[in-house]
Amino acid sequence: MSNTSANILDIKNIEVRYDNVILALHDVSLKVPKGKVVALLGANGAGKSTTLKAVSTMLASERGKVTNGTIEYDGNAIDKQTPSQMVGLGMVQVLEGRRCFGHLTVEENIISGAYSRKLSKGDINQELEKIYTYFIRLKERRKSQAAFTSGGEQQMIAVARAMMAKPKMLLLDEPTMGLAPQLVAEIFNIVKELNTKEGVSILLAEQNTNVALKNSDYGYIIETGRVMLDGTAQSLLNDDKVKELYLGISKKGRKNFRDVLKEESLTKRSN
Amino acid sequence: MVDELLFFMEVLVGGLLAGTMYSLVALGFVLIFKASATFNFSQGAMVFFSVLAFCGFMQDFNIPFVLAFILAALLMVVVGLCTERLVLRPLMNASEDTVLMATIGLGYVLEGLAQAAWGVEVRRLDLGIGDFPVPWIADNLKLFISALDITAGLVAAIMIIGLFLLFKYTKIGLGLRAVADDAGAASSIGIPLKHIMLLVWSAAGVVALVAGCMWGARAGVQFALVDLALKALPVLIIGGFSSIPGAIIGGLIIGAVEKVLEVYIGPFFGGAIEGWAPYVLAIFFLLYRPEGLFGEKIIRRV
Repeated sequence: MSNTSANILDIKNIEVRYDNVILALHDVSLKVPKGKVVALLGANGAGKSTTLKAVSTMLASERGKVTNGTIEYDGNAIDKQTPSQMVGLGMVQVLEGRRCFGHLTVEENIISGAYSRKLSKGDINQELEKIYTYFIRLKERRKSQAAFTSGGEQQMIAVARAMMAKPKMLLLDEPTMGLAPQLVAEIFNIVKELNTKEGVSILLAEQNTNVALKNSDYGYIIETGRVMLDGTAQSLLNDDKVKELYLGISKKGRKNFRDVLKEESLTKRSN
Repeated sequence: MVDELLFFMEVLVGGLLAGTMYSLVALGFVLIFKASATFNFSQGAMVFFSVLAFCGFMQDFNIPFVLAFILAALLMVVVGLCTERLVLRPLMNASEDTVLMATIGLGYVLEGLAQAAWGVEVRRLDLGIGDFPVPWIADNLKLFISALDITAGLVAAIMIIGLFLLFKYTKIGLGLRAVADDAGAASSIGIPLKHIMLLVWSAAGVVALVAGCMWGARAGVQFALVDLALKALPVLIIGGFSSIPGAIIGGLIIGAVEKVLEVYIGPFFGGAIEGWAPYVLAIFFLLYRPEGLFGEKIIRRV
């Protein structure tokens, strides 16, 4: 089935519940155009990870379920697929917190990403060499046990491992969490490179609003399970509300969009 | 003096070789612990079930030895398949404790099925290997060592080498080690958990069959084999729950220590200390080296 639409991912009004009770996403809609980088921004608990897991079908393993709305990936509805089927379709999620296989070597970690593909030993080595051109640092450490590498290296391992599955689309969950600014820049450079050179579409969940938007084409801001604002990365960077709430250029002690909207409606009414 | 030394050697070697029989049982536990992080309480029942089926095929249906062994091994693969489908998959998101309880239940089911199908009486299993000293060794080295013990040692060695090669150099082995480290992450990159579980439970079933053959030949194929599997517990504590070499070495240590203690210290306690001496050793390990000799240290970056 070939997909002629311009979007590789199209999420329409999804609602997600955990344990059939806890409502994690109220109403989230978003689109990822083919070959673009889209940032999904928001604070802790806003629903970023839940959104990504709904797409990769990893929700089921956490007793979560999409209870309303539709997700369409590459022209096919996502419904009953398993995570390994999604990997087969070219959609790979890099989980929050890197999650490397600590007792495996760096190279074994990366090779494990090709598990779903039927490759010969020679093909694997060829792919591996290609991956190392993006992650030069990992090549030097290929024989080390992954658990003993640094946080930045572990993040690179996680992304390199995902790339071995030859994805059309990557879901990155907070790739820069807990990393020094220099490493954050390095990770984003690699992500941009993978996007432009390998043509991988990327949906990126981040708390680091500034860096994420500077490296994205489009952005969505979610709060308590709802999309509050979306727009091109440039327009969001220039948006006053975003500046105030997420980029720390603040006038008063406002906390979230709801407060802003409440305030605005109050001022309107008094006028 | 020479006689005493020879006697000690005999006790030691006999103990080491008897220890490989414990190792064989422990191997099955390690396989499952690696993949599901669960202590499989049904391993003893699997030993009993598999070897009773093997005897049943040979004695009730007159199927030749090799074919009966293959059939019993296939039966254990079917057991693995059913376990994955009926027990593990529905409990996929349950806690490790729930899976642990489920393995206890599975053990009872297997015990019951085995006895329903093949009866409750003790069966004799003749592997064609006697449980008596090998004349050649007795004549030349003056050591009395059982042929069955030597066979168990060889079988254990072959199995550990086979499993090592499987884990280290095959794709499915890499998948298994990945799942053992982080099942969620393994699933996120497309490693199908159910295939890995199926492989591990089938392998544990075949290992149980081999262990059952060795023990059945020595002690008769009977219900007591289920409890015998508990001897694997100190073996695992000493060797480490997640290490295949650990299971082997742990078995050797338990085998040697219990025999040597029995012979030299046993008389002071009125004998029969081999029943509890391994557990005392295990307690010391739990106190001072809880991950065992070869267990994977929990690596945590600070």
